[in-house]
Amino acid sequence: MAVHDTNYQHWKGVHIGLWRRRLVIASNGVTRCLQVKGMRHIVTMCWMAALAMTAILFFVGQLLVPDGLIVQWMGNLNPQLQMFARLLTTWLEQHPETSVGATQNVLFYYFCTLLMPLNIFSLGVVVPLLITRDLASNAIIIYSSKAVSPADYLLGKFATAFGLLTLTWLGPVCAAWFLGNLLAPDWRFFWHSRAVLGHALIFCISSMGLLSLLALGVSAVSSKEKTTPAFWFMWWIVGGVVAPIARQTQPWLQHMSFSFDLQQIAITSFHIGSDIKTAQDNIPILGDMLREIPPRTIAVLSSPAIKGALVALLLMLVAVALVIRKRVKPE
Amino acid sequence: MSAPAVIETHALTKVFGQQRALDSVDLRVVPGAIGLLGPNGAGKSTFMKCLLQLQPITSGSAKLLGREVGTEGREIRKRVGYTPEQDCHIPGMVGCEYVTYCAQLCGLPFQVARQRAHEMFDFVGMGQERYRKVDTYSTGMKQRLKLAQAIVHDPEIIFLDEPTNGLDPKGQEQILDLVQRLWVTYGMTVVLSSHLLRDVDRICEQIIIIARGRVLVHDSLENLKARRLGAAEVVLAGGHHELQTACAARGWTCEPLPNGHVKVEHKADSLNPLLKLLHGLQLAPLEVIPSPNALEEAFVQALELSNGGS
Repeated sequence: MAVHDTNYQHWKGVHIGLWRRRLVIASNGVTRCLQVKGMRHIVTMCWMAALAMTAILFFVGQLLVPDGLIVQWMGNLNPQLQMFARLLTTWLEQHPETSVGATQNVLFYYFCTLLMPLNIFSLGVVVPLLITRDLASNAIIIYSSKAVSPADYLLGKFATAFGLLTLTWLGPVCAAWFLGNLLAPDWRFFWHSRAVLGHALIFCISSMGLLSLLALGVSAVSSKEKTTPAFWFMWWIVGGVVAPIARQTQPWLQHMSFSFDLQQIAITSFHIGSDIKTAQDNIPILGDMLREIPPRTIAVLSSPAIKGALVALLLMLVAVALVIRKRVKPE
Repeated sequence: MSAPAVIETHALTKVFGQQRALDSVDLRVVPGAIGLLGPNGAGKSTFMKCLLQLQPITSGSAKLLGREVGTEGREIRKRVGYTPEQDCHIPGMVGCEYVTYCAQLCGLPFQVARQRAHEMFDFVGMGQERYRKVDTYSTGMKQRLKLAQAIVHDPEIIFLDEPTNGLDPKGQEQILDLVQRLWVTYGMTVVLSSHLLRDVDRICEQIIIIARGRVLVHDSLENLKARRLGAAEVVLAGGHHELQTACAARGWTCEPLPNGHVKVEHKADSLNPLLKLLHGLQLAPLEVIPSPNALEEAFVQALELSNGGS
């Protein structure tokens, strides 16, 4: 006797491609992660930061042109201040690469590195949702029994982490750059700050890729949902504590901290040391302010330990590959 | 046996450390409802997992739906469904979302996946429960959900690993009914792995008995029953004593069973002598079950053979 009257229907349609199936894993992962309240707060914070950065760029942009709103407002407030601002803007008009390029480069360096801890924190929040939960619930068997391979699964999970970081890091940075220059008094701002966008893209994309891979590895370390975030935060915090101490004793130990290593990539990508030097030498007032930076800091910003950082990150990725190989399988 | 094989293995071997979970399995299985029988730890699940590439094969080769398992896993799994023995849902997902997601992983476009997910919920008899999170499902619902996710992409063959585990008799009956319909009505090859002979006897046409990683029996249920011809179970309203006396006179064994039926070993190839005897005694049986427990006896015999041979 049939239990139900509903008939089963055969389906003979066209299957979607492999990349679409990988995208399905990624989009489902991002959706699950965004269902976490904490994650939604972080996304909001990052976009608020992007708006704040846009406001700063708008302010700086207005300072850099003679008929800018800020200069006019200063004139209304105090004619002497207006005179000073006009002097500044005249000089800046003559050196747009320095005034726009170097200023935005420094601003975006700080903006990108300011967002980094927030993004590392956000990965800690979602790390159990990447692989840990699939291991705990045996969902990995379901993935393995469908038309996706383990590599497709991992690609989908990598894209999940990368997609989230795009929402909280790359997206706000690009939006701030675009809106900041859109609100600037001159279209040439886009042109003069093109290199800044390039630097930001290089740093953000490489860091996002590396952090996503590290998060995947940590997520696969255990099938317990409390263990993997604890591991992630411990690694981050211990690294953060060890790095400054190790600087005085065993400098190579600094590379245990992935955030330190990513910082080195940031310094290298933005050429921040040379920009500060240029500003010190060429920009009135701002140059004087920058001369207050201790020479040791300038030295660190001018010659980042990029080789050590790359080697350390490579070793971390090897460890991640080993963990994933051992842990991410159906049984 | 002229139909194209759905499963073909040659010296399929799977080793876990010192233990041979599968030991040179040679099989050629044609479409149908196939029962995979064996005691716990016999290698049934390992056999299915090797075919689905959930476990790598140690040596030998296997083909599923005419494709090489080792090299065409993704293509094979597009046409195969699988319900694992254990719970394996994605926590936090609503039932309907989960089945839709599984369909998309098998390559169905979203709209089709969503529509088929609803159809599958209707098919397995789940109503509003489909809008609840899978974490809140009862065991019966989870078994139905597993079946729904396994067939949502319209596979050609479905592997069911102990699908009635943890279900009450009514739930078992409903799941078995659904599984039976998949083959009988919709032509989907079903491979049912179970240690419950009743389940296999109920829906399968072909039987594979595995023990200690080896295939001991691969035959149709009909042939297995034919091997045990010469015995029948008779259900009578009355006249048990007359039947016993008449059987004794013919040298047949006649044994009353605790359920009120009578088991007669008439030692003939057909039921005719027994039916003639009943007619002669003017007894109208309510039911005559030929070769009762044939599967169980074949199973026990095979295991004994395996133990004796080892």
